[in-house]
Amino acid sequence: MKIEETFSVNAPVDRVWEFMMDPDRMAPCVPGCSDVEVLGENKYRANVKVAVGPIKTSFKVSVELTEQNAPTYAASVTRGEEGGKASMLTANSELRLTSVNSDETEVYYLSEVSLVGRLGKFGLGMMKKKAKAIGEEFAESFRIQIETPGQ
Amino acid sequence: MKLHHPRSIDEAVSLLGKDGEARCLAGGATLVAMMNADLLAPSGLVSLRDVETLKGISIEADGTAVIGAMTNHVTIAEATEFDSGQSVVARAAAVIGHPAIRNMGTIGGAIAHADSAADYPAALLAADAVICVAGADGAREIPAGDFFVDYLETALEEGELVTSVRIPAAPAGSVAAYEKFARVEGDFATVSVAVMLQENDGAIDDIRLAVGACAPVPIRSPDAEQILRRDGVSDTSIAAACEHLAALADPVDDFRGSGGYRLKLIPVLVARAIEAARNGGAA
Repeated sequence: MKIEETFSVNAPVDRVWEFMMDPDRMAPCVPGCSDVEVLGENKYRANVKVAVGPIKTSFKVSVELTEQNAPTYAASVTRGEEGGKASMLTANSELRLTSVNSDETEVYYLSEVSLVGRLGKFGLGMMKKKAKAIGEEFAESFRIQIETPGQ
Repeated sequence: MKLHHPRSIDEAVSLLGKDGEARCLAGGATLVAMMNADLLAPSGLVSLRDVETLKGISIEADGTAVIGAMTNHVTIAEATEFDSGQSVVARAAAVIGHPAIRNMGTIGGAIAHADSAADYPAALLAADAVICVAGADGAREIPAGDFFVDYLETALEEGELVTSVRIPAAPAGSVAAYEKFARVEGDFATVSVAVMLQENDGAIDDIRLAVGACAPVPIRSPDAEQILRRDGVSDTSIAAACEHLAALADPVDDFRGSGGYRLKLIPVLVARAIEAARNGGAA
């Protein structure tokens, strides 16, 4: 499934880029994300918990930045699995930052997510809406974090 | 996993209170299917099979229909107790899945699961139903419009269960219909419409219109209903009314249809539902 989102933040593009390349500052903005670990250059690992009604999942994800063009473009590959390989996900993502003016940046991301296993067979339409809701929550947390002075 | 068979609502509530991960087992049509699909693995099951007070349909003195949570879909579909307006709920029950599912599934289980494409939610919203619920803090009543909160999410708090559904007596002369479009008979709806209306000499005195499977929860628009009340039923008034409904919709793209297709179906099904109600929507 394709997840695509655009949102604006009141911060200059360099600051947004710096923030986004810092897992310690990004992780708290991702709903359900915990236990972030830096595995190496451009490689990170984390746990992400997601719930859809009574269905609760916990994914171990690893993210690898495959391409970078500071401060405007990054591409990454994400792999995740639930305990016991009940489900597995892979996502190819792109991030584009566009400077609107010295105080405003437009953030665009696109993710092609494939999900197999128990969750891949269930309600993909609803999951896409859930992913969009998580994306919106992320954008809101990110905006608050980056626009707060001293961050 | 422990399986319990309480004999009373209080006993069921107490069992749920002791184990936060336990779930109620009603007909099993949904819960057992989800367990088989590895989507849920409750630590305990509180089967409501032996709680007699949860079964059956009764009509109160003021005409309110009370449906016990453990009443199955086929019983509701075939019930003769409902008035013509309340029959919208029976009409929805009649098209849930197929006979084996209707024998197994219950209204309590179905609404507690809150699938956005299920049939009861839109019918209950159109009928102004109230959901009765019991928990450790006692019993409470939740209007249908507040009960369905999100995909697979209701206003039920932890440890609460649905005990019954109350449907007020419909105004005299009401007729109702439930129109469901599904790609395959027996499937969940791509879009569905529940309508209850009262007509007088061709003028619509009152109309209630709920759309299912187009949003996380069933939707109703007072503005849409007002347009039809004011302007009567015509292609123009239906189109105008459905613009308000479309504005509240947020349909998924899935194998049952794209979001755009669902939006296109809304006015088509609204027109069909109104016509079906007028042409034979008496109980």
